[in-house]
Amino acid sequence: MTDGPAETEADPAADRGSLVEELPARRRLVLGAVGVVFWGWLFARWAYHNAALDAAATALGAPDLVRSEVPVQAREGWIPAGPFEAVADAIASVADPLGPARVLLDWVVWLADLAAFATTAAPALAEGAFITVYLTILSILFGLVVAIPVAVARTYGGLFVRMVALTYTELIRGTPLLAQLFFAYFALPLSDVARWIGFTGQPPIPQAASAVAVVGFTVNSSAYQAEYIRSALESVDAGQMTAARAVGLSKRGAIRHVVLPQGLRLAIPSWTNEFVYLIKYSSLAAFITVPDLFQRARDIASDTFQYTDIYVVVGLFYLALVLTTALAMSRFETTVSIPGLGQSTGRD
Amino acid sequence: MSLLEFEHVEKTYEEEDVLRDVSFAMDRGDVEVIVGPSGAGKSTLLRCVNRLTEIDGGRIVLDGDPIHDLDVNDLRRRVGMVFQDFNLFSHRTARGNITLGLEEVLELDHETAVERADAHLDQVGLSDQVDSYPAELSGGQKQRVGIARALAMEPELMLFDEPTSALDPELVGEVLDVMADLAAEGMTMLSVTHEMGFARSAADTLTVLEDGQIVERGRPEQLFETPENDRTAEFLGRLTDLEQ
Repeated sequence: MTDGPAETEADPAADRGSLVEELPARRRLVLGAVGVVFWGWLFARWAYHNAALDAAATALGAPDLVRSEVPVQAREGWIPAGPFEAVADAIASVADPLGPARVLLDWVVWLADLAAFATTAAPALAEGAFITVYLTILSILFGLVVAIPVAVARTYGGLFVRMVALTYTELIRGTPLLAQLFFAYFALPLSDVARWIGFTGQPPIPQAASAVAVVGFTVNSSAYQAEYIRSALESVDAGQMTAARAVGLSKRGAIRHVVLPQGLRLAIPSWTNEFVYLIKYSSLAAFITVPDLFQRARDIASDTFQYTDIYVVVGLFYLALVLTTALAMSRFETTVSIPGLGQSTGRD
Repeated sequence: MSLLEFEHVEKTYEEEDVLRDVSFAMDRGDVEVIVGPSGAGKSTLLRCVNRLTEIDGGRIVLDGDPIHDLDVNDLRRRVGMVFQDFNLFSHRTARGNITLGLEEVLELDHETAVERADAHLDQVGLSDQVDSYPAELSGGQKQRVGIARALAMEPELMLFDEPTSALDPELVGEVLDVMADLAAEGMTMLSVTHEMGFARSAADTLTVLEDGQIVERGRPEQLFETPENDRTAEFLGRLTDLEQ
C-alpha cells in the first residue's frame, strides 16, 4: 500500500483498450464522418418511408415528399447501380484477354458488382436495420432492468432468493436462444397478449412477433447481464459494504448507494460485450418472422440467389451497428468514470 | 452512569474464544486505548460495539440502552467508526463520502448536509480537498476524511480500529493530531492503536488485551511505570522500543 497521492493516474480509457481514444485524431474524424453518413442515410430512409411523416407532409400539401406507400421490395436506392455495373463490365472486358492472370481483376469486378448490388439491396436492408436497432435497444434496456435485481439477489439474497436467481440465470444461459424464442412464440400466448394490448401491426409499430422477440431477447439477455453484473458486484471491496453499514445505512441502502454505483461502473466493459452480442443474436428474430435486418437479407437472397453478396453486405450493416455501439459505450464509460475506480493499477 | 459498558462479554468464532468475560466501563468524554498482540481480539471488541459482529454472551450497554434492544441502524448512527483501511466510498468525493450518511441516514437536506460536511472537512484540515476522490488523496488525507465522515454523524462515541496502521510513518502524525484534538474537545473515544505516544498523552485509560481477556487496565502512566502484570510490562516495553 502506498500513501502518496495517486500522481501517476493513467488515462482510464487507455488502460482498458478503449476504441475511440486509441485512434489518432484524423482517423477518429474519418470514422466519425463514416458514422454520420451511415446513420444519416439510415434515418433519411426511415423518414422517407414513414407513415406518420407522410401524413404530416400530405397535410402540409407535399404528398410526394414522403413515400410510405411504396412496399419495401419496390423501394429504389438513391445511388444508381448503373455506374458500378459499367465499371464492372469495363474491367471485365479488360480482364478477358489476360488468361489466368485475370483472377486478380476478377476480384475487382466482383467488388464493383457487389457495390451495384448493394445499392439495390440497401433500401430493404435499411428498413430491417431499424427493426434490429430497436429490438436490440429495447431488449438490452429491459434486460438491464431485470438483470440488476437478479444480480443483487444472487450476491446479497438469502438462500431461497439466491437459489431462485441462480435457477433463472442457469436455466436461461443453459438453453439455446433459438429454442427460447420458439417457445415464447409458439408455446406462450405472447402474440395474443401483444395483439390484445394493441399498437401492433400498424406502422410504425411492428407486428406482434416483434414484441415476442423483445420479450425473448430481454429474458435471455437479462440472464447474461446478471452474470456480468454479479461478478462486478463481487469485485467491489467488502470494506465498502462494512463502511456503509457502519454509517447506519441499511443493507438495501448500502447496496443502492455504495455497491451498485461502483459495481455497475465496473460492469460497463463486459456489459458492452453483451450489447454487441445481442445486436448479432437479434438476427434470430428472423426465425419467428420478424422482418429484421437478417430477415430482409434472407428475402433478398431467395429472390436473387446472390447469397454470398447479400450476406457480405448485411455483414457490413451489422459491423456498422456494432462499431457504433462499441464507440458510444466507450465514450459513455469515460463520461461516468471516477478516478481510481475500475483501474487495476494495484494501488490500495 | 457510564456511556459504554461491557458486561461479561463473550465472543466465539468456530469454537475459538475471541473475547472471554470482558467487562469494563467508559464514562462520557473518556479516551480509552486498547493494546494487545495480534489476534488478541481488539478489533472484534470494537466491532461488537456497533454490532458489525454479534456477541455470544454478556451484554453491552450504550448510555443505559442494551445495544441489542436498539435498532441496529440507530445504534450505528450513535457510534462512529474509523477503519484501518479507511474504507472511503471510492465513487464519491471527500464531501460525498460525508453527505451520504447525512442525507440517507440522518435525512438532512442536501444544502445542510454539504454545509456540515464542509465544516467537518475543515475541522480535519481538508477544506481544500472537498471535491477530491479517494484515489486522489494520500493515506493520511483519506483517514482524516474517514474521521470527518464518522464525526459528521455527531456520534456519542467514536471507535478507532488501528487508524494509523496502514499509513506510511510520515503520515501518522497528521491523523494522530486530529485524534488528539478530538480527545481534547471531549469526544468519547475507544481506540485500538499501537501508537504509544498517543496512548501516553491523550488516553485516560489503557487496556491490555490478550487472548480475549483483559490482562490489565489503568491509567497509562501507571501501566507504563508500574505495571502489575509481567505481560503488560513486556508488551508495552516492546511497543515503546519499536517507536524509538
